[in-house]
Amino acid sequence: MSIDFDIVAQATPALLQGLKVTATVSMVGIPLGILAGTVAAYMADSASRPLRMLALGYVELVRNIPFLILVYLSFFGLPKLGLLVSAFGIAIGATAFYTGGYFCEILRAALRSVPRGQVRAALSLGMTGWQVQRHVVVPQIFGFLIPPSVSLTIMMFKDSAVFSVMSLPELTYQSNLMTADTFAYLEVLTTTALIYWGCSAVFDAFGHAMETRVRRWSHR
Amino acid sequence: MIDWLTADSALMPFFDGLIEGAGNTLLSSGAAFAIGLALGVVVLALRVAGGPLGRVAVIVYVSAMRGTPLLVQLLIAYYVLPSLLGISISPLAAGVLALALNTTAYVSEILRAALSTIPAGQTAAARALGMRPWQCWLHVLLPQMFHRALPPLTNEFTVLLKASSLLSLIAVSELATVARNATLQSDLPLQVFAATAAVYFLMLWCASTISRSVERRFARLLPNVH
Repeated sequence: MSIDFDIVAQATPALLQGLKVTATVSMVGIPLGILAGTVAAYMADSASRPLRMLALGYVELVRNIPFLILVYLSFFGLPKLGLLVSAFGIAIGATAFYTGGYFCEILRAALRSVPRGQVRAALSLGMTGWQVQRHVVVPQIFGFLIPPSVSLTIMMFKDSAVFSVMSLPELTYQSNLMTADTFAYLEVLTTTALIYWGCSAVFDAFGHAMETRVRRWSHR
Repeated sequence: MIDWLTADSALMPFFDGLIEGAGNTLLSSGAAFAIGLALGVVVLALRVAGGPLGRVAVIVYVSAMRGTPLLVQLLIAYYVLPSLLGISISPLAAGVLALALNTTAYVSEILRAALSTIPAGQTAAARALGMRPWQCWLHVLLPQMFHRALPPLTNEFTVLLKASSLLSLIAVSELATVARNATLQSDLPLQVFAATAAVYFLMLWCASTISRSVERRFARLLPNVH
């Protein structure tokens, strides 16, 4: 079997066009999810029982329902409820929903790494809850947050391939269109995989660089 | 408004299919995980004892598996691999193979992390006692590695079980396939996918509960040797 580089050259522009959509979904959806996950994490550790149950229920949903089923449920189900959301909107929403559940777990583990005594000491010094977070807790947890957050970002970036099932013109969908046109599965799919791999590698390298920077700050 | 009563009668065949679909999902992810465990040990052995070439090969393999979407890996296994090897394989075989090769990469990394927590002195001591390298692996390293790796390994199984829903996209008949077909026939996507999500939830929740109790059992059975 030989590789037809003409097809690779022909397919690459369309695939890069798809990468733009994939990247947009990730760049909007993942930060939104981190925001949601932060809220959920503080809810999960709050004094209010209903808030705790809500946050823990959310995490369990994300942990135990496949991404594909969530996408199907939103894409086919929402119109039946009279909610017309575009495939792009669903992609952003599903990415944010999923990222949030996982980030909540990551943040809770990181928050637990700060000894309770420090928080009590800061409170007894007269700091407000917000000040305790701002000056005592948050500066210490970056080192714990970065590695799992980078893994989560890469995971969600890769999971966006699932959005091809709702004909969102992202990377995998473009790849499916090209293979349906040319039947050049080897060339098109390999190029697609290489594009994903390259992006993941860049994220990974970026994460390592951040980790090294953050580690310089910690004196422990 | 959704009419749940009409939904009920139209969905009877779907509810029967759900159980079969769930069984297929469990079977395919169980098979893939078993293969992944065995291959994970082989890949780890290549990484630590395969010389520089083996080490680089494993690093590239793990990076490729972790850097590309499982869906793309499944498409490659389904469309590219058969023509590349000049054989024809069923969608199920292609799907299980891709899942297994994917989980192999994660398993080998989990085992490597577990191996790194075992003091090197133990290997040296075993060798000094006259054990051959394979005996040292079999009697000293592997039991401790699996003991330490049990929590992340069971977690990896639940991740795999969850991800196996993607097999429906390469024409393997499993739970997500049953749901998609039922939606096309009944036009009741909310009910169908909500029920499917519930079945997945139940399976995954049981899997993590069982794994937690196995962990506790295991922790009691084996003294924690450091």
